Amino acid sequence: MADLKKLYDAILNGDQKTAIAVTEAALAEKVDPQSLINEAMIPAMNEAGSKFECEEYFVPELLLAARAMKGSLALIRPLLAAAGAEPVGRVIIGTVKGDLHDIGKNLVASMLEGGGFEVIDLGADVAVDKFVAAVKERNPHLICMSALLTVTMPAMKTTIQALREAGVRENVKVMVGGAPVTAEYASEIGADGYADNASAAVRKARELVAA
Amino acid sequence: MPMRDAVRIRLEPLGETFEVPRGAPLRDVLFSYGVEFPCGGHGRCRKCRVKLLEGRLPVHPEEERILLPGELRDGWRLACRCSAVSDLTLEIGQWETAILADDREFAFTPRPGFAIAVDVGTTTLVAQLLDLSTGRVLGVRSGLNPQTAHGSDIMSRVQAALDTDGLGRLAGLIRAGIRGLLAELLAAASRPVAVSEIVLVGNTVMHHLFCAIDPEPLSHYPFQPSDDGLKTFRAAELGWEVPGNPAVQFLPCLGGFVGSDILAGILATGLHQAAASTGLLDLGTNGEIVVGDRSGLLCASTAAGPAFEGGRISMGMRAATGAIAEAGISGGDLQFHVLGGAAPRGICGSGLVDVIACGLELGRLHPSGRLANGAREWPLIGAVTLVQRDIRELQLAKGAIAAGVRILLGQLGRGRPEKVYLAGAFGNYVSHASALRVGLFDFAPESIAAAGNTALLGAKIALFRTAAEERDFSALRKLVRHVRLADDPAFEDAYVDSMTFPAAS
Repeated sequence: MADLKKLYDAILNGDQKTAIAVTEAALAEKVDPQSLINEAMIPAMNEAGSKFECEEYFVPELLLAARAMKGSLALIRPLLAAAGAEPVGRVIIGTVKGDLHDIGKNLVASMLEGGGFEVIDLGADVAVDKFVAAVKERNPHLICMSALLTVTMPAMKTTIQALREAGVRENVKVMVGGAPVTAEYASEIGADGYADNASAAVRKARELVAA
Repeated sequence: MPMRDAVRIRLEPLGETFEVPRGAPLRDVLFSYGVEFPCGGHGRCRKCRVKLLEGRLPVHPEEERILLPGELRDGWRLACRCSAVSDLTLEIGQWETAILADDREFAFTPRPGFAIAVDVGTTTLVAQLLDLSTGRVLGVRSGLNPQTAHGSDIMSRVQAALDTDGLGRLAGLIRAGIRGLLAELLAAASRPVAVSEIVLVGNTVMHHLFCAIDPEPLSHYPFQPSDDGLKTFRAAELGWEVPGNPAVQFLPCLGGFVGSDILAGILATGLHQAAASTGLLDLGTNGEIVVGDRSGLLCASTAAGPAFEGGRISMGMRAATGAIAEAGISGGDLQFHVLGGAAPRGICGSGLVDVIACGLELGRLHPSGRLANGAREWPLIGAVTLVQRDIRELQLAKGAIAAGVRILLGQLGRGRPEKVYLAGAFGNYVSHASALRVGLFDFAPESIAAAGNTALLGAKIALFRTAAEERDFSALRKLVRHVRLADDPAFEDAYVDSMTFPAAS
């Protein structure tokens, strides 16, 4: 059990080197990969997220924690796939057309990954068609859209309309976020959920996928 | 030339001194120095209070009703109710706009006539009347950009312009605002002057909204303006009544959101002629950065947010009476300088940078930006405190600038520039030592120089480019390459790295 605590600490402290070393050692000792995720990785990212929400952590610490988590996850993922393990849910994420702001979206993507989701990141400046095509091809549970500019926010609405027109809106939940976005705006444009930070986004995603 | 029967007014805390005709209403006088009258100057809202430090201002009956007896005794008056009947020294209760005019000397070839240079700022407009035969500034007027009612940052202006009839409305507002300044400038001149031309500089959004060019391309990636060149008008077609109907030129932009205010800044600081690597930083809500030398310059803009102007800081304010504008350490403790000697009521950008630099030195703050000992709040002086989120706002702002500088220097393939000019109000007032301590930049201390309002200075220099010389600055524009920071794959890492504070040296 000492390994799990060490992995938890390494991720929370953003120490990627240690996180990878501990994961390698644990896997060599045949520790169940799923337990590394459930008992170290997810709790550590949850804790990093709540530290972020209470302003103890800021963007750099959260990103470092996410990098440490990803280093460890890269080792575990092939084993999970081989064992046929199912993720909590599949998420497509991207920053909308016309908007190049990436950091907030990347944080949410990392936090979702750390929360046990399979995340397909379409990047920034993602065209409406690209979201729609990805929903058709990958059949995700959830689609997350980010916009950092008031002038690009309307692309979220356009994307939701396009999903409707393509007949796939009912197959997927939609969550939106970004500095100028509000819960009111989210419901106005017909999104299913809104979160105002990366940690809240994971909670909301779990809620939406469970619903 | 001094006016006959004029009185002299001195404004604190900025130390501006000027003359007005005896009996002039303070409302008219102070409005042109950026003081606002929220109730319309009807003596109802108390917001235009001024404190009489020297001189005489008889108390109006309405003031007795609206101000407390103690306030009247301390010299507080309502500017909208008073007239300048004697020489006055006034402290402005509400000093919303720290205006930076320019009175630096520059080299020029005299020519006959008069001209006007205008700095079209997102927040503030400044106009100077210039005697082209002497290079002397005959008058200066400034005021708030009337577009501020449609948002304080350039993106909200773009959005307002995209609404139905928005472009016409915003263009009308800015043209009317400048018309007012021009009328005042000409009316105040000691003799009638024939203005031969008017030159305007501003960022790309101001360029578009003044010239009534659709800003739609500026509303989304790749933020590439389609028409950002030199624009020439006649005063009359803008609705301006200027004798002689002179030509009005809005100088060309440099690329993306980087406009002719920065082109003017390059002219003013001579970056395009520099033999050694030089930098120019304009630290506003939209920070602009230029680096390079006479063989080539790179420029970029980066959204720093309003923290340098006290925006989005819980007790943030502009550099006004009652603002903590400076802080230092004495005997292991923080010492503050509050503007106007008043009771502290907030903190402005330069004060914020000082306080955070001191906090790092005193161990009240970790290099991560966290307040020590898990504190959520840091009481400074009086009722003024900083909360954790305020520090985060500064980290975002300074991180954006520092990362932008790092990316541009990286693309340029050079080390630190040998000379760096800081333009604009914040750049003028911020302590270089504190800016270095918080990691806003990491230039050699002796290389940094405040350069004042380089946009206005550069606009004046442009006025001396005679018709034969190019006014579209095609050679200079070829020398400057605009860089979209977000396109550089190293930007995100540079930004995140630059958010933390340097560890103690």
